[in-house]
Amino acid sequence: MEKPRVEKKGSKKKKKSVSTSVRSPSPVRPTISSQGPDEVKQYSLFNIWGVTFALKALLFFGYHSTDFDVHRNWLAITHNLPVSKWYVEDTSQWTLDYPPFFAYFEWALSHLVPKFVADDGCLDIVEVGQYGKPTILFQRISVIASELVLFAALQWYMKSSANTYTSRSRAYVVASSLVLSPGLLIIDHIHFQYNGMMYGIFILMLTCARLEKYLMCGAWFSILLCFKHIYLYVAPAVFIFLLRAYCLNLKYDKSKPFLTNILSLVKWWNLIKLGSVVLSIFAVAFGPFVYYQVIPQLVSRLFPFSRGLTHAYWAPNFWAIYSFFDRLLIHIYKQIPISRSVLLKIFQFNPELLKMDELVNSTTRGIVGDIEFLILPAISPKLTFLLTLFYQIMALIPLFLQPTYGRFIGSITLCAYASFLFGWHVHEKAILLVIFPVSLIVSRDKRLLGPFNLLISCGYVSLFPLIYTSSEWVVKVFYTLLWYIIYYFNYRKVVKIPKNTTGESGGFILERVTNGYILGLGFIIILVSLIDLFESKFELLRRLEFMKLMIMSVYCGVGVISSWNGFSWLYFVDESIWE
Amino acid sequence: MGKKTPKSPQRSIAKSPGPGPAVAPSSSSVSKKSKSKKKKPSSPYAESPLHDLLHTFERAPDQWAARYILILTAIILRGVVGLGSFSGESQAPINGDFEAQRHWMELTIHLPIDQWYFYDLPYWGLDYPPLTAFHSFICGKIGSFINPKWFALDASRGLESSGLKTFMRHTSLISELFVYFPALLGFIAFVGKKLNLSRIDQIVISGIIMCQPSLILIDHGHFQFNSVMLGLFLFSFTDLCKGNYLLASVWFVCCITFKQMGLYYAPFIFSFLLSVCFTNINETKGTGKGTVISVLKSLSFRRLFSIGITVILTFITILAPFIYFASTRDVQSTLLQILIRVFPFQRGIFEDKVASFWCTTNLIIKYRTLFTQDQLAKLSLLVTLISILPPCTMIFYKNLFSRTFSNQKSSANKYLALIYGFAATSWGFYLFSFQVHEKTVLVPLLPSTLLYLTADAEAASICQWINNFAVYSMWPLLQRDGLTLQYIITLALSNFLIGSKAILPKNIIWKIIIVLSYIAAFSIHAIEIFVPPLSKYPDLWVILNTTVSFGCFGIFWLWLLYKMYQL
Repeated sequence: MEKPRVEKKGSKKKKKSVSTSVRSPSPVRPTISSQGPDEVKQYSLFNIWGVTFALKALLFFGYHSTDFDVHRNWLAITHNLPVSKWYVEDTSQWTLDYPPFFAYFEWALSHLVPKFVADDGCLDIVEVGQYGKPTILFQRISVIASELVLFAALQWYMKSSANTYTSRSRAYVVASSLVLSPGLLIIDHIHFQYNGMMYGIFILMLTCARLEKYLMCGAWFSILLCFKHIYLYVAPAVFIFLLRAYCLNLKYDKSKPFLTNILSLVKWWNLIKLGSVVLSIFAVAFGPFVYYQVIPQLVSRLFPFSRGLTHAYWAPNFWAIYSFFDRLLIHIYKQIPISRSVLLKIFQFNPELLKMDELVNSTTRGIVGDIEFLILPAISPKLTFLLTLFYQIMALIPLFLQPTYGRFIGSITLCAYASFLFGWHVHEKAILLVIFPVSLIVSRDKRLLGPFNLLISCGYVSLFPLIYTSSEWVVKVFYTLLWYIIYYFNYRKVVKIPKNTTGESGGFILERVTNGYILGLGFIIILVSLIDLFESKFELLRRLEFMKLMIMSVYCGVGVISSWNGFSWLYFVDESIWE
Repeated sequence: MGKKTPKSPQRSIAKSPGPGPAVAPSSSSVSKKSKSKKKKPSSPYAESPLHDLLHTFERAPDQWAARYILILTAIILRGVVGLGSFSGESQAPINGDFEAQRHWMELTIHLPIDQWYFYDLPYWGLDYPPLTAFHSFICGKIGSFINPKWFALDASRGLESSGLKTFMRHTSLISELFVYFPALLGFIAFVGKKLNLSRIDQIVISGIIMCQPSLILIDHGHFQFNSVMLGLFLFSFTDLCKGNYLLASVWFVCCITFKQMGLYYAPFIFSFLLSVCFTNINETKGTGKGTVISVLKSLSFRRLFSIGITVILTFITILAPFIYFASTRDVQSTLLQILIRVFPFQRGIFEDKVASFWCTTNLIIKYRTLFTQDQLAKLSLLVTLISILPPCTMIFYKNLFSRTFSNQKSSANKYLALIYGFAATSWGFYLFSFQVHEKTVLVPLLPSTLLYLTADAEAASICQWINNFAVYSMWPLLQRDGLTLQYIITLALSNFLIGSKAILPKNIIWKIIIVLSYIAAFSIHAIEIFVPPLSKYPDLWVILNTTVSFGCFGIFWLWLLYKMYQL
């Protein structure tokens, strides 16, 4: 009974590896260093690490955001307090709001703090951190050290790619583009966070999925979730993928009775293995907190629903454009009296609110009152949740039908997109969650490049307002430009060009429009920088403070949404890419 | 007959990298030889990490991208170093070079031109030549347009706001971008072709030179505009190589009127330009007797005159604003004042501890007690003249009498001799002249760094070594500026980029010298960290530093003279 199934699976596996590797039919397997003359050059990320280390080290004492003090405070909390107090302590406003593994990580880190750093105030639980250079040095180095996880993961990713020149160079382009990602430089090494390590685990998870090590895949993803819960955005895709590829068997064998078929629908042993691995990881993470009965506090810390729909700076998503239209309509309402009755009739809002200047002019109304939109209908958390869910389910259906690695990455990307575009209180940093998985498959087809270029340029540029200091301007802008130039060409060089070239002319026009849009991004950057530059001189420009952020997020938002449309189109229409 | 010359350029380049077929004598034509050389990976940079990172742009259609990548990388590196502190940051009321440069911007935009060199001299009075003043004027105008507070007359003294700092950093970055980078890339493109370098090697060498720590640390850390002066010199150098002597002299006058340190190159460029007014003995042969007399007779007065006139006209053009716009003072006193300010002979033979001959031997011979200021000035002038005599006479002699230097030969020796000669002359000045600052090491370092272009494993190692010691000799200054992190990281980066294989040469004597000097440098650093300065000799660590540096510079200088003699 077992035999034919195994054979079938084997043949399927072989077929898949043929399609992924272009020239050689050899199966995907980590290569051993001492191989024959056929061995293709194995790329290494070491030199990249060396060069970027210098860059990151020179950024040590530059600007860092309040996130630095947040992490310092967590070091202090985990070092000084018993586990039961971690999620209760609130001397500083920067309370611990990451899942337990991250707290454990901070705890481990806090034990590595040398004496001269501790004397500097690194481990004091205070309202506002009082720290100097030693603390900065220590925490910056800890980011660089923890980022080694990403380097290791990507090195493994490259090593496990097929032993052909094409796939090796593709893997190298992908891996180097990810470790060099301007997003990581801006968020981790200037702004200050530990995303490098998180995305390292993320890549480990994806590579396990590619190598069909489902158990490992599940384990890494659970670990990742226990480090940072933002990865819940993509959890549905991982869940469906593991369920379908590892735990279900949708073959109906007519020769067997109905009940046997129903029973063999689920691969019970696999399900138990996976379930126990995932549950035990969660138990390790949350067990102590269950024991101390602080789970309600923990949950309320992890999911603070009291925040507004948009962040102070709008992430370039659907709601940024929605807010923009609201503001536009307010202006129309105020400037053009004729429009008033029409607007009132359509949107049925309360015109009294518009007379309150304080409310109209405030930048993030969510903070001032509960009213975020004055003309357009208000958005409830439920609505955002439903919208996100809807688009995620749309992305999950093809994955359920065709649980391949390509589909998996595609659906992870679209899930991340849906959460980013429609989610409640989304941070602009979450764009990395879209960029990272999609980079892994973009070299599969030339048609993916258009939306990809749009995504990376808008995504990374939309991170610029995070770093508002003038001294870092050169680094953030030129580094992103440099990265873009390098990978614009390198991805084009290694990308697979599909055989059927139908509809070329339409693609050509689209490519022109995309490139024009990306060039426009340059003008936006120049415009915003000029506003910054002459702010001290002209009173008018100071009043545009919010305007420049809005320009940025709306322009980038349009790009991100277009790239989402592009990917979705290819995801739902073209099957060959995702096999 | 001509083809069998014992010192064909290809051979001299290919000599050291490997005992390959290039050394074996062959009667094949020159072009064939160079082709066979290209095939084998003889370049010492082939295994450098920089090569590894850039090799994807090796193909001809992608090389333009490599160029932009290098420039952007260089900009980023400078921008990041610029995050560090500048000289005299928050050290009011004295401050440092940053405040000096800012003050010049302030005074040039507010005062009439004839007061520039007179205004409040004790407070960072302008003491650089006119082009610097004009440059300050332009920067000041732009800065004052952005924020007038930064350059308000007198009121802005000692201002250190973050906006101002960023603006100042950008002025030096943009100045370098527009002067030094094109000059460097142009030079490497021209001379690299003459030296038969592969494109990828040229790219890698450009990268290495652009990541040179000394210049980055001084211009973008400490804060100065040396890159402009060095860039102008490189423009001049490129035109010298191309044979555009008039243009070269224009560039060179610009160089020395930007910063008087450019004068370190002057004797050599003078002797070279003088020599090109004669015809090489091997060329006169065809027309008449190839004798010394015929060479001396071949002096082209036209060329000599036109070079002279060009130099004078350039000087006049640069000084013209001072003459034309003089309203409150007579022209003579203004010009005299410029001269007095630019050449401060009233200062001592050395100020801080510096790796020069005088400062080092001062440990044994106390010059200041033995001689008067005036005598010392004369003595140092004499010694300097003796030290620069060999390169200057060698270039003169070789240009006139050496076969490989004649225009008929497509030999690279001429270019190499120019590099060696400029380096040797300026090192002579650095080591032996009056009033040397530690930052001045940038001047001799530039032509020395160009020796990377020889693509010779030994030269590359020595070049890297001298680059490291140049930074090391500036360590006391950088430490004072609070640039310790930048010092460590840029040094590490530049050595990382060139690769571990290029650190030590094959030659055993050089190996010993280099290893010993590195050990000395590292141990002095270690002592400095762990042993507090002795109360009796507070400057001991600095003196050790300068002494070791002086030793290295001296050895390097002698090596340069030897290499030049060998050509």
